[in-house]
Amino acid sequence: MFELNKTLTYQSLVLFWKQIKDFLITLGEIGVNFSRVARYILGLRINVSETIEQSKRFAFDSLPISLTIVGMTSVIIAMQLAPELARQGGASYTGMLSALVMVRELAVVMSGFAIISMVGSSFASEVASMAVTEQLSAMKVLRVDPIEYLIVPRFCAGVLFMPVVFIISAFFGLACAGFVSNWTADLSLLNYVTSMWHGLYVRDIFIAILKSSFFGGTIALISCSCGYSTRGGAKEVGLATTKAVVWSFLAIAMWDFVFASIFYL
Amino acid sequence: MTLEVKNLVKTFDSRKILNNISFKVQNGETLGVIGFSGSGKSTLLKIIAGILYEDSGDIIFPKDSEVAMAFQYSALFDFLSVYDNIAFPLVERKEFRGKYSQDEISKIVHEKLKMVGLEGIEEKYPSELSGGMQKRVGFARAIVTNPNIILYDEPTAGLDPVTSTMIENYIVQLKKELNAACVVVTHQLSTIKRAVDKVIMLYQGDIVFTGSVDDLLSGVNPYARQFVSASIQGPMNIAT
Repeated sequence: MFELNKTLTYQSLVLFWKQIKDFLITLGEIGVNFSRVARYILGLRINVSETIEQSKRFAFDSLPISLTIVGMTSVIIAMQLAPELARQGGASYTGMLSALVMVRELAVVMSGFAIISMVGSSFASEVASMAVTEQLSAMKVLRVDPIEYLIVPRFCAGVLFMPVVFIISAFFGLACAGFVSNWTADLSLLNYVTSMWHGLYVRDIFIAILKSSFFGGTIALISCSCGYSTRGGAKEVGLATTKAVVWSFLAIAMWDFVFASIFYL
Repeated sequence: MTLEVKNLVKTFDSRKILNNISFKVQNGETLGVIGFSGSGKSTLLKIIAGILYEDSGDIIFPKDSEVAMAFQYSALFDFLSVYDNIAFPLVERKEFRGKYSQDEISKIVHEKLKMVGLEGIEEKYPSELSGGMQKRVGFARAIVTNPNIILYDEPTAGLDPVTSTMIENYIVQLKKELNAACVVVTHQLSTIKRAVDKVIMLYQGDIVFTGSVDDLLSGVNPYARQFVSASIQGPMNIAT
């Protein structure tokens, strides 16, 4: 006898619907958490000592990996770009192009990736572990809102300190690109720096700082939200961490598109 | 009267976990809630504590009541020391912020640790403590705000008999010292005998027994008899 619920199409549709439902639920949870975080921040109910603690993590934990990723990427780009520009007679543009790429895109996106892997994943697993071991419930019974105690400081740390990570990484990336250009295309550092200044616009720097601030807040909010809604055990903690990383990557790509559309279209 | 639960209903995924549950607990009285695993005992406690919401019904207690809960696995904050765990509500709770000086907090924390027989472990972290010690630190944290309603979720689960007896003694002692209304969810008959004044038994979301500890042990009620005698035969199907 034909049974609809045993067909591959039906099961695929059920699975697809489950994915859509999970997506919408996660989106809703992030939205609700954001509104609660915003309410605390607007009411100036920010736990300063906890925010400082989380800011240290945000800045120091992610900085080595961020410098490595941004440094390596800028080295690779300069290795290919500088000799090619020199062959075409445009070596003097190396600094300008590096500055444009670094400030507008590379440094902010790459440091975002570094922060997701170092800090976002740690936020998610930490909050998820607290959820499955009833520490969040204990906090609620003690009448301390976990959103206020855990998520607000992490969100503020993200908003305030991702720009710091970005600025340091961008400077480091530009310096790396300068040395590599000097090495591969015989471009003097003075020429590189002079050219670089032509590619650095105050507007770009402000947009990048704003974008990095959005990235930092989004990574912290998504990571904590994925952890906050975790139920179950060790497996679910792992799934929540993966989910936080995937969602953060997607969110960064989307924010990047939004910023590019608004400011550079 | 301190705590009254009235016609409480809770459903998960169309399965009724609590079906019209009602009871009262007075000051200085301990109610034991027993039943098989999955009978809704912990859900009941979490609703009273405000962690879960009921579908319908009422939890009634005076407005100024302070509700505390000791969790099954202690739920201590693993990133904080014992001292900071106990001081946590005094430092972080909105209405207490700035109310106590560091010296006052220190005095309260030491007093509560003394009440549960643990002194000199303030600087330790939860991972450095035994299960029984973690439970007692959990008790100390629960009573730091001098609650008048204390909820215990499986307070002796996973502990050796001697430590269980110690924990049961603390439940009795804390109730007396704070004149609190206590609700103890447990599987352990020893806890019922030592620490509880009256008992309700849950089965498939319903209360199937209400009475004193003596009534429970008398074996008149068939549900109570099956539970006390740990028998597979009886009105309760353990497969559910």
